[in-house]
Amino acid sequence: MAKPITHIDKKELTEEEQRQQELEELQETLLENKEAITKTVELLGNLEKQGILNLLNGLVSEGDQVLRVLVQNLDKPENTQAIRNGLLMMSTLGLVNMKELEPILLKVNAGIERVGENADTDESTGYLDMVRALKDPEVNRAVTLTLNFLKGMGEEKTDHQQNVDRTPDSNV
Amino acid sequence: MTKDISVQLNGKLQTVQENQSILEVLRGTEEEVPNVCYHPSLGAIETCDTCIVEVNGEMTRACSTTMNSGDKIKTAAPHVQEAQVIAMDRILYNHELYCTVCDYNNGTCEIHNAVKDMKINHQSIPFEAKPSEVDNSGAFYRYDPDQCILCGRCVEACQDVQVTETLTIDWERERPRVIWDNDVPINESSCVNCGHCSTVCPCNAMMEKGMVGEAGYMTGIQEDTLRPMIEITKSVETGYGSILALSDMEEKMRDNRIEKTKTVCTYCGVGCSFDIWTKGRDILKVEPQVEAPANGISTCVKGKFGWDFVNSEERLRKPLIREGDKFREAEWDEALDLIAEKMTAIKDEHSQDALGFISSSKCTNEDSYLMQKLGRAVMGTNNIDNCSRYCQTPATMGLFRTVGHGGDAGSIKDIEMSELVIVVGSNTSESHPVLATRVKRANKLHNQKLIVADMRKHEMAERSDLFLHPNSGTDLVWISAVTKYMIDQGWADQNFIKEWVNGEAEFIESLEPYTLEYAEEVTGLSQEQLIQTAEMIRDAKTTCVLWAMGVTQHIAGSDTSTAISNLLLATGNYGKPGTGAYPLRGHNNVQGASDFGSMPDRFPGYELVTDDEVREKYERVWGVDLPREVGLNNHEMVDAIHEGKLKGIYLKGEDMGIVDSNLNYVQTAFEKLDFFVVQDPFLSKTAEFADVVLPASPSLEKDGTFTNTERRIQRLYKTLEPYADSKPDWQIIMEVANRLGANWSYDHPSEIMDEAASLAPIFAGVSYDRLENYESLQWPVDKDGRDSPLLFKDGFPFPDGKARFYPVSYTEPITYDEEFDLHVNNGRLLEHFHEGNMTYRNEGLKEKTPSTFVEVSPQLAEDRGLSDGTLVRLTSPYGSIKIKCIVTDRVTGNELYVPMNDSGDAAVNFLTSSYADKDTDTPAYKELRVKMEILEEKGESPLPRINHRYGNPQPQIGVQVEKKWQRSDYTFPGELVTKEGEPRG
Repeated sequence: MAKPITHIDKKELTEEEQRQQELEELQETLLENKEAITKTVELLGNLEKQGILNLLNGLVSEGDQVLRVLVQNLDKPENTQAIRNGLLMMSTLGLVNMKELEPILLKVNAGIERVGENADTDESTGYLDMVRALKDPEVNRAVTLTLNFLKGMGEEKTDHQQNVDRTPDSNV
Repeated sequence: MTKDISVQLNGKLQTVQENQSILEVLRGTEEEVPNVCYHPSLGAIETCDTCIVEVNGEMTRACSTTMNSGDKIKTAAPHVQEAQVIAMDRILYNHELYCTVCDYNNGTCEIHNAVKDMKINHQSIPFEAKPSEVDNSGAFYRYDPDQCILCGRCVEACQDVQVTETLTIDWERERPRVIWDNDVPINESSCVNCGHCSTVCPCNAMMEKGMVGEAGYMTGIQEDTLRPMIEITKSVETGYGSILALSDMEEKMRDNRIEKTKTVCTYCGVGCSFDIWTKGRDILKVEPQVEAPANGISTCVKGKFGWDFVNSEERLRKPLIREGDKFREAEWDEALDLIAEKMTAIKDEHSQDALGFISSSKCTNEDSYLMQKLGRAVMGTNNIDNCSRYCQTPATMGLFRTVGHGGDAGSIKDIEMSELVIVVGSNTSESHPVLATRVKRANKLHNQKLIVADMRKHEMAERSDLFLHPNSGTDLVWISAVTKYMIDQGWADQNFIKEWVNGEAEFIESLEPYTLEYAEEVTGLSQEQLIQTAEMIRDAKTTCVLWAMGVTQHIAGSDTSTAISNLLLATGNYGKPGTGAYPLRGHNNVQGASDFGSMPDRFPGYELVTDDEVREKYERVWGVDLPREVGLNNHEMVDAIHEGKLKGIYLKGEDMGIVDSNLNYVQTAFEKLDFFVVQDPFLSKTAEFADVVLPASPSLEKDGTFTNTERRIQRLYKTLEPYADSKPDWQIIMEVANRLGANWSYDHPSEIMDEAASLAPIFAGVSYDRLENYESLQWPVDKDGRDSPLLFKDGFPFPDGKARFYPVSYTEPITYDEEFDLHVNNGRLLEHFHEGNMTYRNEGLKEKTPSTFVEVSPQLAEDRGLSDGTLVRLTSPYGSIKIKCIVTDRVTGNELYVPMNDSGDAAVNFLTSSYADKDTDTPAYKELRVKMEILEEKGESPLPRINHRYGNPQPQIGVQVEKKWQRSDYTFPGELVTKEGEPRG
């Protein structure tokens, strides 16, 4: 007669068996990743030498606390402004087209050289001198360049929607 | 047929299909306009206004505007874009963008994507919090009003797809939000937790709790750290560009640890398929897909949230071997050796027919195929059956008799498009929830008529246009009377009968007794109700009949199923879209378990074991001699044990010791077995009687296929590795077979399917390649892969291609002594599945519905002094149960309802008898009478007030966007911009 039973004798591994099993698993993982492990150990050694490991340990073990202090400090106007400026600078630098800028920079350089050569001149330039100077191809090129620059600066050129700040016109 | 028309799109001529909306045409093209609230499964909701375009000079929403020939459409002109941006600004006023630390940052956030596509770099109206808290009250999902953009997708899904009608948006308040019922917390509402709202939410407002704090790398951060982080992100933003780039990176990183795997639901026979998101063994969420063939975006609470059992601590870790009064955990080798030794001994000592094999409708087709192969080819017996014997075999019988294929005549789509749906003996919205949503929706929105015949006034009955409450076990009479009346009135489809049906004269003669007067007397339905039913069938161009256990679990279950099919034949309701017979299959793979040969008389594909030609085919391929005689079914196996003829059983995935009727009889049979092997993920009630218990892997841990109620074969992919030492059933069966000398070498279930397809003609074209991802096949499948969504289009599978009227006569239900004065109906609840092995392991479901109960009518409560929580003993001639009462008008008079969700003292099958359908041996669970005695008059209600049944649904159609448009603070963005060339102001 097979009466219903609900009791299960679990096959409990002894501590030694458990340890053995885990060691085997670990060994396998180590062998499978031999190269990566070796390099990691090397890296850890270097970090330890520099005292960085201690620092990281402190950071990580108190992760939540550290993160909280960090974000609370960051969340101050002067800090967020700094980050904002940083981001803006980065995105601005990213926009600069060096290929186009290079000849201009060379020209600016030439201009500076010329100014350096005639640094302490007593010459004064009158209105007519300016008009005359425009006939000088070198000066004319520079003026044209400058005018083009001013024109480009005034042009609205973005592929992002630039919408004006408004107050909420609708709650829905 | 749709016509092609030509329109001018941004100045270019283009040919498009008539009657398509502009947004439908543009979606997926380079000229796609922004859209946030639009969802392909919900259509145009018209709340977000981001898809504004100009058509013939007028600003309008692309989602709700269809194209006409010659239309001039502008989608990208500056003023059009300006209007779109205004709409988007309003959304961002309601939604804070902190994508990188948002759990919904998974590539599908409509807001994130729209902001990116529109290249919005800066928010012109700052976000402002709404004056309400996050609603965390429910166990399954949470609502964050602050992130809610009021798109109304969730409301549309709740009102018109799921049709539970819980959600609305209160457009009246200053800052509108989604509300539950009449503004109560989620957990106290009528919400059934089907999950539609969180599935369709375009952002993180409505979110599965499994996702919260789990999906992202930084989303688990504590709130007091997270808040300043969000503030920093916002104050340093130099434009959304850089923030979105960062969150896009984080999103890609998530792919590294979140797996998305397609599976098919393990619960009912609707066959919902979906992606399941896992992180390690944690299930983050279930994500239904638009292209899922049976369910689309739909799920019920079990499919969406009921997967905790997979990681239950109570899962079996190792094989168990009975030793004295306990089980001992053992290694596979020992257990398999023991099984081989004992089964061989029984075969040698008695005969192969002293062994029985019981397959399961929870397992895959491949598991089932191997189980019958093990029984037949390895042990040499046809004693093989599965649990559809407990539910739907009578329906299959009724269809074999009349139309020749034992499966649904069409697809869920046919049910959806039908003009009239008749539901007989099926609590569809709880037993087949997602299929029921299609009927509820069609009835609510598309003028589909609904007749429900049932003992109980359940949700479908409440929604019906005509509710019939016949006396128990008399469905055959009213169905036959309606058929006779229609034929007499000349309302039968004579052309159809002449062309397609044999046996008309004999059938009409057999209907002679079923006059309206006789039917009225037997069924208790009025003649007017019967005539109204006939008229509704007459007036509908197409009719589908859906039925379930209320029909089949009677002593004349097969005959009643036959009568239904006769009615459909007489009215020409076969072979056309929107028509046919739909016996709703109860488990995920009830259909497939029988399809793949776990039946005592049939091979896979329903070919008979007694057919010499068929048997020779199998003998050739399997290389063995096969038994010629029909074997024992489940019911006969139990008898054979009591008679001492059956000595050993190998049973998988079946809690027969709790779901079979007359449990005392079944359980004493188990005690008499010489050797009993049970294969299950848990130590089920049945397994407690076993000599060896083998730990099996549930659906999420294996590859394979399931076949749903539509005959649709769908693939499931392994989502998780098998738990502990458990294994997929097909592997276990193969190992058992090989110990017994079989020498099988299947590496993958696809090879098993290939073998079945090569043998069974109805699966000829089935292969895993044709079932990739969300692809599916509805059998019969031709060799070239052509499948059969709608059966009988070109005739019926009989030699002359014609169906058959099959005359049946009425068998009176089982009679009981007068002292058994209460009728007991039994069945499912939405939130639990059967004995509860899976669903009681889910805390959320347990909180909502902690135990089973008996429903009593207000009249009976008054007569006997019962109230919610009264503890009673119900006693039938076969046994008794102790159970608590719920008073409800879902039942009337002396009729009770007992959900079957208990495996202890309240298991309803301690009451049921061994009487069974006379043609198939399916237990007559539904023919049951008891007497009642009160044990404790007062007690705590078994159904907490937070159960959805106590909620107050708020039916309405859709989100009612007109109320938004009528608000004084709303102006259509198209009116706020000026057209090109016109002066502003």
